[in-house]
Amino acid sequence: MDAVPGVALHVESLSKVFGRRGQVAAVNDLTFSVAPGRVTGFLGPNGSGKTTTLRCLLGLVSPTSGRTLIGSDPYRDLAEPTRVVGAALEASGFHPGRSARNHLRVLTDAAGLPPTRVTEVLATVGLEEAAGRRVVEYSLGMRQRLALAGALIGDPGVLILDEPANGLDPEGIAWLRSFLRAQAARGCTVLVSSHVLSEVEQTVDDVVIINRGALVHSGSLADINANAEARTTVRSPDAERLAQVARDVGGAASADLSPDGVLTITGMSAAEVGHLAFTSGCELHELSAHTQDLEQLFLELTGGTE
Amino acid sequence: MTAVFGRLLAAEWRKVITTKMIFGLVLVGLAFSCLNTVTLTLVASGVIPGVPQADTGSLLMDPDYLTTLLAQAGTASTFVLILGVIAMTGEYRHMTITSTFLSSPRRGRVLAAKMALFGVIGALIAVVTMIAVVIVLTITLAIVNHDHAPITASAVGSVLLGAVIGFALYAILGVSLGALIKNQVAAIILALVWVLLIEALLSALLPAVSKWLPGGALNAAMSVTVRADPTGGLTSADRLPAWGGALVLLGYALVFAVIASRTTLRRDIT
Repeated sequence: MDAVPGVALHVESLSKVFGRRGQVAAVNDLTFSVAPGRVTGFLGPNGSGKTTTLRCLLGLVSPTSGRTLIGSDPYRDLAEPTRVVGAALEASGFHPGRSARNHLRVLTDAAGLPPTRVTEVLATVGLEEAAGRRVVEYSLGMRQRLALAGALIGDPGVLILDEPANGLDPEGIAWLRSFLRAQAARGCTVLVSSHVLSEVEQTVDDVVIINRGALVHSGSLADINANAEARTTVRSPDAERLAQVARDVGGAASADLSPDGVLTITGMSAAEVGHLAFTSGCELHELSAHTQDLEQLFLELTGGTE
Repeated sequence: MTAVFGRLLAAEWRKVITTKMIFGLVLVGLAFSCLNTVTLTLVASGVIPGVPQADTGSLLMDPDYLTTLLAQAGTASTFVLILGVIAMTGEYRHMTITSTFLSSPRRGRVLAAKMALFGVIGALIAVVTMIAVVIVLTITLAIVNHDHAPITASAVGSVLLGAVIGFALYAILGVSLGALIKNQVAAIILALVWVLLIEALLSALLPAVSKWLPGGALNAAMSVTVRADPTGGLTSADRLPAWGGALVLLGYALVFAVIASRTTLRRDIT
């Protein structure tokens, strides 16, 4: 089966309010696109609207306003959705009494795919041996693999995976990582949600970060790294004066002196702080540069709360 | 379009045969049907007391009573209804509805395919149940060793035809009811309370209303024109003609399906 080239995904001014009286705004005027040939991390704390957005993309949830497109069409207008988009949404969408093989056979029947696809995807996710067992006997990790097998059944050009690493062992996570990289490398669109940046940091090219249903950041991971603010810490007997000068002359974004005598300056590199201390005659006992931890930045962007 | 519908039918069929639920319900339905046939045969033959001594044995000479014994196959209809309800609500209960609607985002088509398939399944169950009832009745009559009217091919044929149509429509009705009431437990309880309690009460108290309700319409569709009353005798029941009963049943199923496709079926799958 030839690879279907991936298409871009578009979320346009998407809003979704649950409840008849509009109590819960899950997604609020969200706009972003996902490019083919790249792995995009869809990040945000639990309850930030990731799953709702994905379910809107897949036609399972109707937007209150705005729209979502798979390439140029809404999901519900796709003639052969299984061959275009593969989705793994949660690990619980299986009949407990049905075997993995039969679960996948239902999918090939509905999509008009040859039954040989079942064996192929079972091999891909490493479930061949357990394929005849009823899903009720499966571990969370095995259910995740089965969900992924279901997503792959139509050899789609678009993969949409909601927290796919949940329940996988470290080996499984490493495998998933290389698998997703390979899918993107062959031109697929890969959108992976997670509430932990570090989980996908090594996998993704792009990130879309949302918080409380609204977009916080969308762009390449490299962009975020570049935006990460430089931070310099200093120990000095003249700390108070140095803080003053850093703010007034050096252009520091902030300069805070902690009770234990550590001055933290943001918005200035270590070299700039050193130079400023020299020209203003402040004595330095310690000077160190810190690049901001990506996870820390993520927490700040998303309000630091889970 | 036709090809897509065929694929959906194939997928729905595979869902049915890959869990044990259907086999359990069919077996229980069979057991109840056969039990009713046997019990009424034993009552009529005087083995189980309940019929006035004078009537003992003579009831079995009445061809109508023989037909009624065969028509006990209809007992399984309740399980066929439940089968349809479970087929639809099970998708929501186990959240397989997510992958179902991902495979086929046109939700109305999924419901139509399920209803069509369960019509066929209902008919098949009718055939299986009828075969079991004829066998059990033959054996029971041989054991009680009374004179009895013959089990005629025409009697079996007419009851079978009614059961095929009635079970098919009841299964379809179950699916459409399940689409309307997605909560499995609520839908099953409603169906059981309706069939076993409300319809039973109304058929005794308000037959003129009862004949227009699903249970009464089912009996009409199955050409059950008499019912065995508790004393073992026959009471002629107020029924629609068979074709009228079938139409009324189909009408209920279609109305439920149309309402469901405009309300519950459109709801967000979260």
